[in-house]
Order: sequence, then structure tokens, then C-alpha cells
Amino acid sequence: MIDLTEELIRIKREGRAAVLATITGAEENGKVEPGQKCLIRDGKVKTGTIRHEELLQAILKESEARLKEERSKLVPLDLPGTGDKVEVFFEVLPAPPKLIVVGAGHIAVPLVKMAKILDFHVTVLDDRLQFANRERFPDADDIKVGDMAQTLKGIPVTPSTYIVLITRGHKYDEPCLREIIHGPAKYIGMIGSRRRIKACFQRFREEEEIAEEVIERVHAPVGLDIKTETPEEIALSILAETIKVRRGGRAQSLSGH
Amino acid sequence: MDMIYDQVKEFLDKGETVAVATIVSTRGSTPREVGAKMVVTEWGEILGTIGGGCGEADVRREAVEVIHTRKPRMVRVDLLDDISSDSPAVCGGIMNVFIDPWWQEKEPGQPLEQ
Repeated sequence: MIDLTEELIRIKREGRAAVLATITGAEENGKVEPGQKCLIRDGKVKTGTIRHEELLQAILKESEARLKEERSKLVPLDLPGTGDKVEVFFEVLPAPPKLIVVGAGHIAVPLVKMAKILDFHVTVLDDRLQFANRERFPDADDIKVGDMAQTLKGIPVTPSTYIVLITRGHKYDEPCLREIIHGPAKYIGMIGSRRRIKACFQRFREEEEIAEEVIERVHAPVGLDIKTETPEEIALSILAETIKVRRGGRAQSLSGH
Repeated sequence: MDMIYDQVKEFLDKGETVAVATIVSTRGSTPREVGAKMVVTEWGEILGTIGGGCGEADVRREAVEVIHTRKPRMVRVDLLDDISSDSPAVCGGIMNVFIDPWWQEKEPGQPLEQ
């Protein structure tokens, strides 16, 4: 027997994504009734009280769309074989987004602090132990020290991963970007002046023949256009941009997209 | 994900019935978003919020009934009716709140055929 609340708590602890579907409205037909539930994880029904097999299939299908959108929603579904409608509330329990901060310099410190407030799972990475350490980043979930591009290559990236490249120079940002630009990251932001970024993208086009739509995924210059001056303000503008990408807002980015 | 299910579990483990009230749909301007929830205990104690104000108080009252009947219900909360009020909860929208009783006997689901 699997306990539903226990399963919900376990999913949260493991940082997994799931959908809890609850029937909120149904005609009286003896087949389904309001309050019946099922918990879906990894595309499978984990546990629940809904027993109607065809309805479960429809719920599985819909839950995929909900998870992709990361938005809870009330959805009317046909109850197969009856002509009846049932209303199902899909509660999306998203995996916490992961933030990888490459470069542990003066912007990274406020960035990591704020990212924890926003519930990101945060990894900080630098090749200098005197920068990437617990004293500077008491809140970080993970701190890695090593060659940045090489280490970045070994960190799993998913569609809920956000990567911010804020190393001490383009010499380091560029190889890191090369490692991740073709990956599934939801967000890639790279710091730098417009001139340097232009030169970097030009090299990408010419030497590596990286397609324009791939290059356009990179938010560079990084952040929203709020005329930042201090490291804290830059950190805020970067995080605001990650929220814009996650939720689909329309604020103006410095990169123009 | 918030911690609300940890709290639900604590009550269920003590053998209590609680009502989980969730905003499932909204129209117009509402104080909280779809998916926001609060837990109401048998004694009418509230954990979490669906926006405060009169709407929340109505839901709390209905939730206590739901705990006693153990039958879920959908409640429509109209935030339009009291425009003259200074209450911050007067947002001008409508929200549907599903109130669902949770208790130990019902709550452990049987593993399903996969």
C-alpha cells in the first residue's frame, strides 16, 4: 500500500516533478466521484483512488501537457463510453528549477543568496578554491571547484536547468558556453559587453558553424534592462530574467529577446 | 512546492480529518493564483492562505462542514459583491475553490495496475 501524503512528501524531498489529479466534478453515474485522485510521476500512475481505466489514460495524457506548461489547471474531460463530462483539477508539483552559476566572483555572491530565496536548487562552480567555498556561499546546494568547462560538462542539464555564465573573462565564458549551447537548458545567460559578445557569437558562426537559432537562445548581455549599477542589482536583473523565461513575461531583456 | 502536504500528513497521522481547499479556477482579478491552497482543521484552524478576507472566511465555514460530512464540494467565491469595502480582499474577481476532505482511511491509495 502506498500512502498518498507520504508519496507527495517523498517527491518533494527528491526534487521530482509530479501531477496530482483530483476529480472535482462528475455526474452521478457510479463510475467516478468528486474527491477521487491519482498521483502521476514519470508518466505513470503511482497511486490513487481513481479506478476508471480509460479515464486514467486521458488523465495521464493531459498531465503531460500540464507538466510541460508547469501550470495547475481545471480541465473538463470526457468520461469514455458514457458521454458524460468530468472535471479534473491537475495540480502540478514541479521539480525545483536548478541554477548553475559558473564563476564565483562578486556577482555570484548576491546571485546565489537571492536564488535560494526564489527556491532554486543552486550549484556554484569556479576553478579557484578561494572563491568557490562554503564561507562565500553558505546557502549554495552544491559548490564545485575545477576546470569550469570540463566540470560543467559533467553536470546533468534538463529543461528545468538555468545556467548563468559570469566568469572573470570571456576566455572562460566561451568554452563553457560551447559545452552547453546545444543542450536542453531552459535558460542560458552570459555576461559581457555587447562588443565582446558580438565577437564571441561571430566566432561561433564562422568557426563552429553554430546555427543562428541556437545562438539566439543565449541571453547576452545577461539580464533585464533595469539600468543596473551594483553587483546586487546585476544579480537581481539576471534572476528577474530567469523568471521571465520561466513564466513567460514580456519585460525587456538586454539581449533584445 | 510548498510544505502543505507535510502538515496534512501530521493531522492524518493523528487520526484527524482535514479539508484541503484549492483555488481551481479564477475569473478577473483574485488575490491568489490557481493552485493556491489552505488546510482547514476540524477546529476551524487555518494553515496557508487562499487570499484572506471574507472569501477565505466563507471557505473556512464550508470546509468545517465538509470535514463533518466527508463530502467534497466546489464553492464559488465572489469578490465582486462588496466594492465599497476597504478590505484588501476586494479584488473584483471570482474564484472557484474545491474543498476536499482528507482522512486516513480513505487516503492511502491502493497501488494501481500499471
